[in-house]
Order: sequence, then C-alpha cells, then structure tokens
Amino acid sequence: VTTTAAQPLADTTGRFELLRALAATTVVAPPLGLAITEAAGLPAWSPELHTRVFVLELPPYASIHLGQEGKLGGEAADRVAGTWRALGLVPPADADHLGTLLAFYAHLGEASVAAATDAARSRLAHAAAAVLFEHIWSWAPGYLDAASDYPGADRWAGLLLAALRREVEHAARATSLPAGLPAGLPAALRLAPAPLTGDIGYPELLDALVTPVRTGFVLTQGDLSDAAGALGVGRRRGERRYVLSAMIEQDPAAVLSWLSAHALRSAGRHRRNIDEARETGNGADDVTTGWWAERAASSATVLASLAAACH
Amino acid sequence: VPEHQPDLTALGQRVSAARAATEARGETFYQGASGTLLAAFPPIERWDDWVELDSRAWPERVEHHSMLVPTTCFNCESACGLLAYVDRQTLTVRKFEGNPEHPGSRGRNCAKGPSTINQVTDPDRILYPLRRAGKRGEGKWERVSWDEALDALGARIRAAIVEERQNEIMIHIGRPGEDGYTERVLASWGVDGHNSHTNVCSSGGRTGFQFWTGIDRPSPDHANAKVIYLISAHLETGHYFNPHAQRITEARSKGAKVIVLDTRLSNTATHADYWLSPQPGSEAAINLSIVRHIIETGRANWAFVHDWWNWEEYLSACRPDLPGTFEAFQEAMTELYSPFTFEMAAAESGIDAAVLAEVAEVVAGAGTAFSCHSWRSAAAGNLGGWQVSRTAFFIAALLGAVATPGGTFPNAYNKFVPKPIHTPPHPHVWQELSWPLEFPLAQNEMSFLLPHFLKDGRGRLDTYFTRVYNPVWTNPDGLSWMEVLTDEDKIGCYVALTPTWNESAYFADWVLPMGHASERHDTHSYEQYDGQWIGFRQPVLRTARQRLGETVADTRQVNPGEVWEENELWIELSWRIDPDGSLGIRRHHESRERPGEKLTVDEYYGWMFEHSVPGLPEAAAREGLTPLAYMRRYGAFEITRGEGQLFASEVPAEELEDIAVTPTGRVYTAAPLPESPDICPKGAPEGDGTGRRAVGVMVDGTVRRGFPTPSGLLEFYSSTIAGWGWPEHAVPGYIRSHVHPDRMDADQMVLISTFRLPTQIHTRSANSKWLDELAHTNPVWVHPSDASRLGIARTGDLVRVETAIGHFVAKAWITEGIRPGVVACSHHMGRWRLTGHDHVGSGGMMATVDLTKEPGGWALRPRRRVAPYRSDDPDTMRIWWSDTGVHQNLTFPVHPDPISGMHCWHQAVRVEPARPGDVHGDVAVDTDRARQIYAEWMAATRPAGSHSPDGTRRPTWLMRPLRPSADTFALPSGAGRS
Repeated sequence: VTTTAAQPLADTTGRFELLRALAATTVVAPPLGLAITEAAGLPAWSPELHTRVFVLELPPYASIHLGQEGKLGGEAADRVAGTWRALGLVPPADADHLGTLLAFYAHLGEASVAAATDAARSRLAHAAAAVLFEHIWSWAPGYLDAASDYPGADRWAGLLLAALRREVEHAARATSLPAGLPAGLPAALRLAPAPLTGDIGYPELLDALVTPVRTGFVLTQGDLSDAAGALGVGRRRGERRYVLSAMIEQDPAAVLSWLSAHALRSAGRHRRNIDEARETGNGADDVTTGWWAERAASSATVLASLAAACH
Repeated sequence: VPEHQPDLTALGQRVSAARAATEARGETFYQGASGTLLAAFPPIERWDDWVELDSRAWPERVEHHSMLVPTTCFNCESACGLLAYVDRQTLTVRKFEGNPEHPGSRGRNCAKGPSTINQVTDPDRILYPLRRAGKRGEGKWERVSWDEALDALGARIRAAIVEERQNEIMIHIGRPGEDGYTERVLASWGVDGHNSHTNVCSSGGRTGFQFWTGIDRPSPDHANAKVIYLISAHLETGHYFNPHAQRITEARSKGAKVIVLDTRLSNTATHADYWLSPQPGSEAAINLSIVRHIIETGRANWAFVHDWWNWEEYLSACRPDLPGTFEAFQEAMTELYSPFTFEMAAAESGIDAAVLAEVAEVVAGAGTAFSCHSWRSAAAGNLGGWQVSRTAFFIAALLGAVATPGGTFPNAYNKFVPKPIHTPPHPHVWQELSWPLEFPLAQNEMSFLLPHFLKDGRGRLDTYFTRVYNPVWTNPDGLSWMEVLTDEDKIGCYVALTPTWNESAYFADWVLPMGHASERHDTHSYEQYDGQWIGFRQPVLRTARQRLGETVADTRQVNPGEVWEENELWIELSWRIDPDGSLGIRRHHESRERPGEKLTVDEYYGWMFEHSVPGLPEAAAREGLTPLAYMRRYGAFEITRGEGQLFASEVPAEELEDIAVTPTGRVYTAAPLPESPDICPKGAPEGDGTGRRAVGVMVDGTVRRGFPTPSGLLEFYSSTIAGWGWPEHAVPGYIRSHVHPDRMDADQMVLISTFRLPTQIHTRSANSKWLDELAHTNPVWVHPSDASRLGIARTGDLVRVETAIGHFVAKAWITEGIRPGVVACSHHMGRWRLTGHDHVGSGGMMATVDLTKEPGGWALRPRRRVAPYRSDDPDTMRIWWSDTGVHQNLTFPVHPDPISGMHCWHQAVRVEPARPGDVHGDVAVDTDRARQIYAEWMAATRPAGSHSPDGTRRPTWLMRPLRPSADTFALPSGAGRS
C-alpha cells in the first residue's frame, strides 16, 4: 500500500481521501504536492520547512515515539510491520512512517466500505481499527502537538488531528466492529517503560528525555533552541542528548525547571484535546490520550523535584 | 460543524474532486516518492520541463531544465526503460535514468542503463560512413557519403537477387534488441539470410524448453515463487538481470528460497540460500535426483501430469509392454528415474548427497510456486547441455508449476510482438550455410561454423553484413573468422553496421555508423512477469524536437555526425535494391497512406500501435493522444497482466469446425486460423494432413488450447527427437559432457568461460567509460588447492592455459570461489586493435597487439597496454588501469552439440605457470588444428539425409527464425552425410 496506489472511490464523503492527502504531505516534498495542499485548503509548504519538520527535527515514525529508546526501528517498528504480516501482506520498508500508516488505514477503510460481504466488511473494519488505535492514535496526537509549534505546519497538524479524532469517534460508534472500540491501551503503551522517578541517574535521565514514551512529551531541536534562548545558556551543536547534557551542565536548575514546564505544557495540551473532543461530540473514552497526559504530568513533577534539588 | 472546527467532509470531497480531475488529465495527483524509496521519479506531467539544480554549481542555485524522453536500453536483452534527460537549452542528452512508466523494469536500471550516456558521448565512436582505402584489414579508411554506400550495396544485392544468388546475402545479428524487423527486411528481399549469435549463447537453454512446451524460453514468475531455482552463471547470465533481480528480491523479502547451481561463486550465488558448486556438466544429474525425490516422496502433481503430459505417447512408443494406464506410467516413471539417487548425483557432481537431499526437499515443498531458469551457463557449456534446461523444466512440470503464480511460464505468454504494417512472404530458398543438413534439430543458425563451412567450399557470400556484432571476438576460433573475412573469394563484400570499432570491423569493406539506445527506433518485449508489454526505443532528440514543434523526417538530422538508425537504413536500401518495384521488394517498404512513396518510421510504428496493440488506442484516446504519440510519451505499454494458464483456456466454438480428434486427444479443426495481432514466435505444429490445422487438445471432454507441440501437450516424450535419429534422448535425461572427468586426461581441468560480469555485455558495452572503470580485466579463477598443486604462488602471477588448439596467458586469481579442479575466465575482456591501427578502436579497453602468422599458427602479442590519452573527453586522461585481460575465445575450437547445435563452451585445458618469455595477453592458435576438431565434432552428427523420417530437412513444427516457404523443407536430392 502506498500513497499513490489507485483506490476505488467508494468513499463518497472523501473521508479517506482527506487522510490520504494529509499522509501524502509528509512524504511528498515541495514543489511536488502543491495540488494536494491546495485541495486540502492548506498553505503550501516551503521546501525548507518540509525538510526541517519531516526529515530533520520531527521525523514522523511510530518507533521514535513508541519505542523504548526513542529511536528509529527496533521492536516498535517490528510491531507495526507485524500488522501487515498478520494481514498476509508484505510490510513496506517505511511501515511505521506516519504517511505510510495513514495511507494503509485509508486503504483498509475504503476496502471495508467497498466490501461485498458483511464478514469481509467486519474483518477489514477491524483491521483498520487496529491500525488506528495501535499504531496511529497511540502517538500521533503528541506528535501533531509538537508539529503545531512550527509556524507553517500548524494548520496541517490541526487538520490531521481533527480528522483523526473523527476516525476515533467513527470507530467507537461503528457497528461493523466485532467488539467496538478497543477497551484498553495500545500494546506499545501497555509495555511502555516505567515513568521517571526522582532517583533516576543522570545518564538514564538524558536517555529518557529524548524518549517520548518514557516522559510523555516530545522534545525537538527547536524546543532546545527555544530553551537555550529563554534561559541564556549556550546551545552546543549536536544530537539532542548531547545538547541537553551541555545545557544542564551549564545551569541544571533552570534547564530542569524549563523541562518540567515543557512537560506540563504537553500534559495540558493532551487534556485540552480530550476536552475538545468531548465538546465537539467526539466524546470517546480516550484512555490513550489520558495516558500521555498522565505520563507528561508525572514527568513534570519529577523534573520539578530534580530542579529543586539543584538549588 | 462547530465554528472553530474545519469542515472535514467538505475538504474531503474537495480533495477527491481534485484527484479525480488531475487523474482524468492523465496526470499524477499523489506525486513523489516511489515504492522503491530510493528515488522520487519525476511525474509524467512534468516531463516537458523538469527542473533540477546543478550540483556542481552549489552554493549557487543554478537550474537545469530538461525534457524527459523515454526510450529502451540497447545493451542486454532485458529491454529496460530509460528516460533521457534532454537539456532544453542545448538539445543534448544530459543523462539517462530509469523510466518509471515501464512495467518490466519499473524505473530501475542496472549500471549499463545510465552508462548509455558514455556510449553517446564516446570519443572513439564511429560518426560517418567509411570505406576501406587499402587492403582488407590494412586499417586505411576514407569517409564516404551514405548515398555512395547505399548505391554500391543496393546494386550488389540487386545483382545477387536477380541472378538467383540469394544465399550469398547474409545479415548476422548480434543481440537483436528488437522483435523481428530485420527478419522481415530479409523476407522482403526473398533471402533466407538471417544469421544470429544464438548458437554461441542460448540455444542449449532454449532447446530444453522448446521440446517440452513448443516455446523456446521460460518466463519464471520469480516475484511470487516460494523456491527460485537458477542454473545460471549470474542471474541468467546477464539477460533479464535487472527485471528478474528486482523480482527475486521481492520474493526473498516474502521468504522465498533461492537455489543457485553455479560452479563459480557468482554475485547471484552470494545471495542464494543454497549455492551448489557442481562438477561442470553434472547439473542434469542433480535435477534428475530432485525429480526422483519428488516422485518417491509423493509430492508429484499427478493430476497435472495426467492432464497435461503426453504420457500416453510415451507408453505407446517406449513401453508397449505396459498397459496404457496412468498408473502404469507412474510406475514406469519411477523405474526410469530410480538410478538417479542422491548418491549417484553426488558422485557425478561432487556435492555431498545430504546437501542434495536438503535442496531436493526444499524444491519438493514449493508446490506450484517453483520458478526456474536455465540460460547459458551449463546449458551452453556442455555436450548435451540442452538436457540441463530440459530437466530443470521437468521439475516444474512434475510439480504442476507451469504458468501458475510463482511458477514457470512459456515466454510467449508473457511477451507480445505486434504485427507490422507489411508482412512479406516466406523466402523460397534455404540457406545451407546457416541450416546445414547435419543439424536438423538445431535450435538456431549454426553461425559459429560459418568459417568452416566457407572453408569446406559449401558456398560463398557475396554480401555479408554484421549488425552490432563482432564475430571475430565473440565466437570460438575467432582467427578462423578472420581468415575468411580477409578472403575475398569467400566473402565478396563485408559490411559492418556498428556504433563502435570492433575486432571484426577492422576487416570490413564498409563501416556504417549505427545509433545507440537513444538514436534509433525499435519495439521490444520481454518475458519478466505474468503480463505482456511492449517497449518503444526512439531517437530521443527527434522526439524532443518534435515536442518543440519541429519536423524531423530523417533520424540522421538529430543524431551525432551521420549516425543512422537501422529502420530507415533498411527502407532506403530496399528502395535502392528495387528502385522501380519490379522485384516486388519495394512494396514492402512503401507507405500505405501515400502509395508509391517510402514508408516512414512514423507510419510504420503509428500503424503498428493503432492496429496491433490491444488496448493501446483506447488508452491513448483517454489522454487525447494518438497511439504513436502515447508511446513516444510513455515509452512502454502493458497489454495484459495475470493471464495465467493459457494452455488450459477453452478453444472458442468458432474455431472448432469439422474437428478430428486423435486417440491421444490432439484436436484438429477445419476452421481457418484467426488473425492475431500478436506474432510472438512459438512452435507451429503440423496439421493432420487432411487440411485441418492443430487447434488444441481434449481434456476432460473440453477442447483446450494446449501447447504448440506435436501432441498439443507438454512433451515428456519427444517423438521429434526419437524420430530424427536420437531415440536414446527422447525423454529428459543426463548426457555426460565432453568435459566429464572420464573424458579428460588426469592433468586436465575444466575451463568455464561462459560467465559475464554484471557491468559488461560483450563488446557492446565496452565503450562505456564508467563500466570499463568498474570491470576491465578477466583473471583466471584458480582454487587455492589447485594453485598449490600447479605451483602458482600468488594472485596476479601469470598462468598459461592450454586448449586443444592453442594457449593464452592470463593472470591468476586464487580464490575459494571456484571448485577445485575447475578454472574460470570471464569473457568481455581481452579487446585488441592491431599495431598501426591507432586511429580506430576503443581507447580505454583495447590493447594494441601484433598479430602474426608463424609456423604452427597465429600469435597475438600485446605491444602497448591501455593508458591515458587525450580526446574530447577529459576522462580519457584519467584512465588508471592498463590491464584489459586476455582474448581467450580465440583459443577455443568449435564444439557443436549434434542435437541443439549449441557451441559447447567448456574446455578441457592444462594450466601451468607462465613460461619464460610469456606475456600477459599472449594468444597462440593453430587454425589447422581447429579444422581437425571441427571435423571430429561433425562426425558425431546424424544428418537429415540419413535420419529424416519424412524426407524433410528439419521438423517443420520447430521454431526457426525467418522461416522459408514450405517447399524448401524438402531434402535436396542426393542429400546425405556430408
């Protein structure tokens, strides 16, 4: 399944086409894809912004956001690929890329709508719901919140978040699903590493801070630049763990306090998402977003206590 | 919709509408990254003005604007799609990349595709027609006009035709790169003069498939196979390399197992799950041990065998002692192959029986998803090599893996040859020099024996063309070729049609420059998956200029110098042979739209695409294009996909008229053969002698299409082989090679010479500087144990390799990648030009040599190695290598297989450290001794004169390029052993 696969247009509301278009945005670099963004009512991406967001600072891979080390590949990526295999399909090379996952979900959704029998419809709807809850909704809201911090990317992120929320609600109401909305957490969150604790060692803390599933928040190079500017500490060039280390060594209390605030902000955003979903009638019992809110809030508390200990 | 929320439904509908509108225009809505992830192909709607930044201008942002024009690669036979990037300012080709619209290659290419740019800009290429100014081979040339050349050749050929010396005209093709155009030119002249290189290439492989299916190539569906079984020196030895490699990669990602039988550790073998390195020539024994295992373990697909094999014919002919039941056949099969135990195969191959058993078990588990290929390699190396491909397909046929998903198809199911605007009649002559009586079952022309036949006095050639072909270099016994090419009594006029200098063109009377992949028109189709497609090769600058509104009537207007294309050349030459139409030739090269005027390539291909390619006119119309404009834009068109087992399809009722059915189920009909736009070559089973034609076979009470064999079934038993004097080989079996250990002296080793390097393709690619830098020499592979035994101390030491007619001197490469007792040396290398011919050649690949006749034979000695030289291309000053290998083929005598006609390439050789005075690249050949070896092999033939069962020269159902008229098949009076 690719974003360019020809699909039957059984989807008269354009529900899946919109998702496919928003997926394509993540993989099609400008100047290509202008027709897609224009049709979706979004501003054109500049090549620089597209590269900055999707290649350099926020690569949209599930394994980065759900993996126990916050890195590309590994068990988290294999878990995503397993979905393809379970359906008798060959996983594509970038199976856990947000664009691939959305296109796959759209494909399954369309196939479900077009299915000739109830049994096929139910099977396909169930597969689509599994992809949505296990591999997209399990991390995409946090990712999209982070993306919305980039001027020029915010409208795309907001639109995709709204479209995903609609899918979650749709799945919750779907009668074709054998068991309705999955009741528990996605596997990746059930198996997530323990939250931060006050007795964490320094190297482990550095590892944890660049591992979203450990802290509940996303920390980008842009965030670190903002922090350095706000705190007046030097920002050395390097990968995020190294940058963080250099900043903390300069002013540990200030940097840890900033990180605590950043975590709180993420928790707040997750809670606001839950509230907004309820306001707009998409009131599914969203335990996934609740988990991220709780994890970020917990991290905020621990980081604040670590900051206090530095004084 | 709440005020602050987007209206998702409205946006979704808007996106859907935008996509529909974009795709209705034939454009791509979701542009960008392809499935390969390595490349983002330019979307087709931007091919008229594709913008890239000049990387060399960085950090300046300098834009390159290109027009992207598709064409087809002209190196190997895979026919992969290329996209030429034509600079819009200079109207020159900047580079070549893959064509994403091509269904076979799917945007990918091997190294040879993009290196086409080297061939186009090659500073040593031939740009103008040349006529020799001195004696043949003296190296003196004068530039002439095309008119002078065409007038001279036209008059010469006309005289031969008028004087009924048609058999003195011959066109010898290298790798065709097109589907039948040249054959039709010859047919229009009434000349049976098509000669090909196939009997030094793939005839052995083809023969095994032809006797099973009536079609001489397999089409393995690698992408969907569970087990891929390759008996090839390297992915079918170069043919299909890229299209098959990418599909094998897909299959492996889904868990398929790859089994490679190759004595040498090829690149393909390094990727295999099982690499078997057998004693050369033992491959058929291994195949039959697998057959035995499948039978013994109950994994044979007996239902398929029952329906689709000619088992009844076998029982009737070979086992009249048994009842004519299928159960009796099963028992007979079991008995027949019971000697092929793993232990027996192990003794022949030198591979441990337990390994063979493990491999056999993997194969047996493949079921109907077993894809196999056997090309060149063992089938081209050994006496009886054709039984290697026959026994490989035997496995597929026993598993029922014929035209199944992941199975092996006859190639005609997956290839399409569109019928052209004119179809000349069959010539009324038979060319004995290509189709001699000694080889009635030969798969293709006995091309490599031509010098010997000329020396025998069997005929002479008045006008001999080579077309992108280099017989002196390519064939075994090349100096015998040189001897006849320099003898004007044997070859009156030699014309080399070639883009580049080669070892044969030096001896020509005329050298006429031909175009590369981006400088000529052709159609081409190849079997690469279960589907049919055609590719279009076109002069890309002509198409680019036409897109800009210019009119180009002659490809020479846009090609470099006066380089031409063959299509227009043959039309023009045919008109000069028959200027007033009185010979009946001109009409086959005339316009239909404008009677009495010359046919143009636009009309030729326009007619073909309009009338002979199903679905193309409709696809073109959807985009508001003519079919020709569509092909000029896309470069390829997929006609069918997923046709499956065509042999099982029901014959339509309108084809069944007054039918007759034989006791074994062969069905004949009085209904005429319907017109088909597809003229892909395949067997032509005879009628029943009462005017009915073969139409199908009766299976379960239904007339099904069957196979184009005499029985209409898969032929386990070949009545043809039995009837034409070889009853002992009527069923798939094992023939001990001429290099079987029992036939060699104790101090001899087998030399494997059939393998290619992935980045070269004979001499055709040798003017590509990138490829030459990658691969430019051919050391002799020697196992460490042999090196130690022979006293070869280290890699790079010189060795002398002695064949039956001479020797060559090469560098040793000591490696465990070759079986002990076997040595190997690639071809492609050892290119040369003669001392004093410095102005011709290929500077980066040709050593300058002295070639002298001495007592005892010819001696070729390098005098100057390759070195940097000044030219239009600054890269020629950067040549860092000097070693270009050795021309080993010169030292090989001819070894014609008496059945397939294939030259059996493997040599029994003696290897020793070089002697004092030996020089790397030395070659010595005794062409008198070569004549003796030729005579020895000819004595093993069973000529039609004494073995034809029906008074004909050759079974009429067998495939034959440029088939002459039916009356020519009759044996000439007095025919017998020559």
